[in-house]
Amino acid sequence: MSENYKFDTLSLHAGHIPDKETGSRAVPIYQTTSYVFNSTEEAASLYNMEVGGHLYTRISNPTVAALEQRLAALEGGASALACSSGMAAMHLVISAICSSGDHIVASSKMYGANINLLQHTMPRFGIKTDFVNPNDPQAIERAIKPNTKLVFGEVIGNPGLDIMDVPEIAKICNSKNIPLVLDATFNTPYLMQPFKYGANIIVHSLTKWLGGHGIAIGGAIVNGGNFDWGDKEKFPTISGPHFALGGISFWEEFGPSALIAKIRAEGMYNFGPSLSPTNAFYLMQGIETLPLRMKKHIENTRSILNFLVNHEMVEWVKHPDLETHPDHEVAKRILPKGSGSIVAFGIKGGREAGKIFIESVQLASHLANVGDAKTLLIHPGSTTHSHLSSDAMKEGGLTDDMIRLSVGLEDINDITKDFERGFKAVKKLNK
Amino acid sequence: MIINFKGAKTYIGTGGKSLDITKRTLCFLHGSGQNHLSFIQQARFFAYKGYSVIVPDMPAHGFSDGNPCKSIKENAEWINDLLVELNLKNVVVIGHSQGCLVALELNKIIKSALEALIFVAGSNEIPVNRFLLDLSKENPQKASQMMVTWGHGIDGDMSINKWPGHSHYGEGNNIMCMNKPTALKYDLNSCNDYLDGIDASKIIKVPTLAVLAINDQMTPLKSGLKFVELIKNCETHILDCGHFLPSERPMELNSIIKSFLSKLK
Repeated sequence: MSENYKFDTLSLHAGHIPDKETGSRAVPIYQTTSYVFNSTEEAASLYNMEVGGHLYTRISNPTVAALEQRLAALEGGASALACSSGMAAMHLVISAICSSGDHIVASSKMYGANINLLQHTMPRFGIKTDFVNPNDPQAIERAIKPNTKLVFGEVIGNPGLDIMDVPEIAKICNSKNIPLVLDATFNTPYLMQPFKYGANIIVHSLTKWLGGHGIAIGGAIVNGGNFDWGDKEKFPTISGPHFALGGISFWEEFGPSALIAKIRAEGMYNFGPSLSPTNAFYLMQGIETLPLRMKKHIENTRSILNFLVNHEMVEWVKHPDLETHPDHEVAKRILPKGSGSIVAFGIKGGREAGKIFIESVQLASHLANVGDAKTLLIHPGSTTHSHLSSDAMKEGGLTDDMIRLSVGLEDINDITKDFERGFKAVKKLNK
Repeated sequence: MIINFKGAKTYIGTGGKSLDITKRTLCFLHGSGQNHLSFIQQARFFAYKGYSVIVPDMPAHGFSDGNPCKSIKENAEWINDLLVELNLKNVVVIGHSQGCLVALELNKIIKSALEALIFVAGSNEIPVNRFLLDLSKENPQKASQMMVTWGHGIDGDMSINKWPGHSHYGEGNNIMCMNKPTALKYDLNSCNDYLDGIDASKIIKVPTLAVLAINDQMTPLKSGLKFVELIKNCETHILDCGHFLPSERPMELNSIIKSFLSKLK
């Protein structure tokens, strides 16, 4: 009987039903590298991609597959593939679609490693990227060339919190027959499902909100199945003959799931960025409570925004839910449940004040992650970007007074009390 | 492979192997609003087992152009002409859902030597409710989504799939979206208007296999069982899944078909 289960239910159940043999209610951790074949014919069928199944954990694994199928269900995608990290996911997508001589259009306001991969690493392999303002759909359209194979951006930019106008950019990509690939880590499918707005491929760092507990690194690609790869000249790696499997055309044989089939057959096979089954299990434990956590993340973020905006020691606050944010209107339209739980704010007193604040808070953790259940802070001016001058930081869209806050799930009064401790220490310094 | 057939681009899946007309050919017929991708896990499987396989995208479905056929008879005639065009001599026809009705009509007119018939999640009548008929005209995408949801058993709801990482619903919706928007309307009306199934069932003379599904809401098991009773010596199997049996229970279905084929002369 079809039930068409809702998001909260799928977060708990999708990808797994208790097996008849053991009755295990939790998804079992299949900590194995390989799988016994019942016959040579069965082995050949799996190698030839005649039927689905598991060959070797570098390619697929039952625990990892449960996670993949849960993600596909939550995003409304055709198929998904989990891998060792969000960066691995991004690299797998690019290497599946692009070859030497191809071109990418990407947002200029993204996570540093995303920029580094496109700006410095991929050009060594003949794949060049033009970076454009993600808030300017026309600029994205102008940057598209005949050899452009994908447009890439972050729904909510890290660390600047710029919001991409996904429906507008998707329209442009669709009219040019170019897939729109989005990093949806900061929104998670709870806040926004990009396929509903016309995106084609999603990459996630599962390490962040989806996992949510800061205990496992992982990434994923979710394939919308809504892109036509049929142009063999433009997308030869997906629709043209593959070098193995009898020259298979993934597009002809797998249609909506062609991209994932290609990545599994080439990216996972040849590069090997597989996710451990145990980490897949940990990440699924996180996803089980994703709706509950995201509700509290948003609730706490709204409270902390109110606290910071009205605080005498705060110079400025940046978050897309604030009317002062340049992308507030876009955020209201595509992220009506909230624009995530990352907040950037400037502390009065500049770089030194930022350093004192970070070192004075006790509850919030000083580290370089986001999306944990616990509140996290980092002051780029005294850590990741301490080697840069104020002017150099400004060029990168950062200021030396900026603190990046990942709002956690603690009691909001305990978080604000902790921040007051930090502000008091700064005040002392200023006296 | 793509051929020009009756003036239109026509795609025929061959399971990743070249078509060899000297071999026994398995001809898979997809259901309403579907295309060759209904048989992802059958086409390659049987092609790699030494059979010649064809999975045509009917006109306006999948990668095929042309105008959709407007009745079950027209579908059968189109397939019959295609078999002649491809010069296929010995054919086993395997229909899924609407493909079963087409197979029943094809049995009456086929010029190739029909060696066997296989009905998957089928019946000899597929009445369609008025709401879905109207919706397929007004909003085929919405109608497709509803069919994908109704059509799957619990594996669809729970995103359980033998193919790692694949979602029945997400994949199913997008497979149906690949067709021309008018295709579904004509398919569903063709099914609803088809009334010759009882007589067509009684005249089957070739070996026949039926694989039905317990939780089939599109062609209910009760209807399927009444259908197979009319066929002389029909080997019948019932699997625990929904209407999209080829993707819900691929291994079991392939194994049953393989065993059945091994018994043919």
